[in-house]
Amino acid sequence: MNFKSTSTTIFLDPSSETKVEYKKGEKLSVILSPSLYWVKKIALPVKSVREVKKLLASIFEDTLPAGHYSYTAYKSGDEFLVFAYEDKKILSLLNTKGISTVDIKSIHFAQNEFGSLEGALKINATQSMYLKDEVLVLAPSLWISESRELDLSSVELSKRTIKLQQFGHIVDNKSLYRVGAILIILAIILMVEIFVASSKKDAIVELQDEVFSKYKLQSTMFQNRSTKSKYKTIHKTQTKLREYLSYFLTMNLKKTQKITLIEYKSRVLYVTLSGTSKGHERSITSQLDSKGVKYKVSYSDTSMKVEMKI
Amino acid sequence: MNQINPLQIGALLVVVIAFLFFKLHGVKAELVEATESYKMSEKLAVEVSSLKSVYANKKKTKNAINRILAQGSLRAAALDIKRNKKSIKISSKSIETKALNSLMGKILNGSYNVTTLKIKRLSETKASLDMEIQW
Repeated sequence: MNFKSTSTTIFLDPSSETKVEYKKGEKLSVILSPSLYWVKKIALPVKSVREVKKLLASIFEDTLPAGHYSYTAYKSGDEFLVFAYEDKKILSLLNTKGISTVDIKSIHFAQNEFGSLEGALKINATQSMYLKDEVLVLAPSLWISESRELDLSSVELSKRTIKLQQFGHIVDNKSLYRVGAILIILAIILMVEIFVASSKKDAIVELQDEVFSKYKLQSTMFQNRSTKSKYKTIHKTQTKLREYLSYFLTMNLKKTQKITLIEYKSRVLYVTLSGTSKGHERSITSQLDSKGVKYKVSYSDTSMKVEMKI
Repeated sequence: MNQINPLQIGALLVVVIAFLFFKLHGVKAELVEATESYKMSEKLAVEVSSLKSVYANKKKTKNAINRILAQGSLRAAALDIKRNKKSIKISSKSIETKALNSLMGKILNGSYNVTTLKIKRLSETKASLDMEIQW
């Protein structure tokens, strides 16, 4: 069994009227005609292709017509082959020829695939290509005496391929990477914040559980609130009882007036005083009024009974 | 060579960020809620704990009352004392006002849950007493 994928090689030239025929789903290797790119062979005081790539835009600055270009470079002996091409133009031509980008396996420059071409090759009805100073150039077929027909069956494709930027004309790569990087950093910051907030929340929930066990609270807040309310009521009642008792025990009474009974039950305090009758209770009630105590008074013979709700 | 539209990737990132913002908002709200709940629980726990230590500490209350009743002046008063699971009843048909002052001074200055009280003047120096303290 052979799992190696096979592909059909085609030569893409804007002036060629040859129809490209291939089965849908079949993979195509596309060789770009010299009319679809600009190429220069130059010597630069740099060692790596990576360093050259940084200079490509400035190398072509004065040569290219206005447009949105992509650049690439390859080492060629001691020199470099530098390329400029318009992705949109190539994609548009592929579209015109009925070739879907999904079916394209690889895209090559004719320069790289015919670098050792001898003589000239006809690429369309009027033009031929040939090597001049190691650079593949186009010339009218009429100028060339011997020009062979282009035969792609014998071409062995190099690994020097390019990828077309289908959306490069919408957003340029630098801006795209910047915006993407900012969005990714923002997403990371948000994720970190979510993690931190979530950890804090978990820690607080754990602390809350510790509070419950430390203070031996009941399992629900409702039960605890009810317990608090119960004991708070007791505290209030007891404080008030002591307060009211202190009013009577520190009260300025006349020599004839005496407290004969103090009774407290069902949250009501009764104090009975002898030696006072209706109309003569003012000295006692005024003292209670000054303390803001709410009370009821009842009389029997020479005694008065003060009733206060606690 | 089919490529993904960078605008689609951007839109996806924006959606992811929007989702993360939404999630963060939710987690922060939960954090605020948990913090408030914790503060509330702690406050409630301190309050309940301090109130219970005063009014629901059966052992402490019992011991404190026993110490008061063991005083010489009150032992001589021959108080009638009845204890049950929830309360103690102290009564006397006739008690010296000095002993009564001493007992009531200590009870009213302490944090005891006095549920019933009846002091009746019998004479210049005597009174009757009925009192119940619960815990």
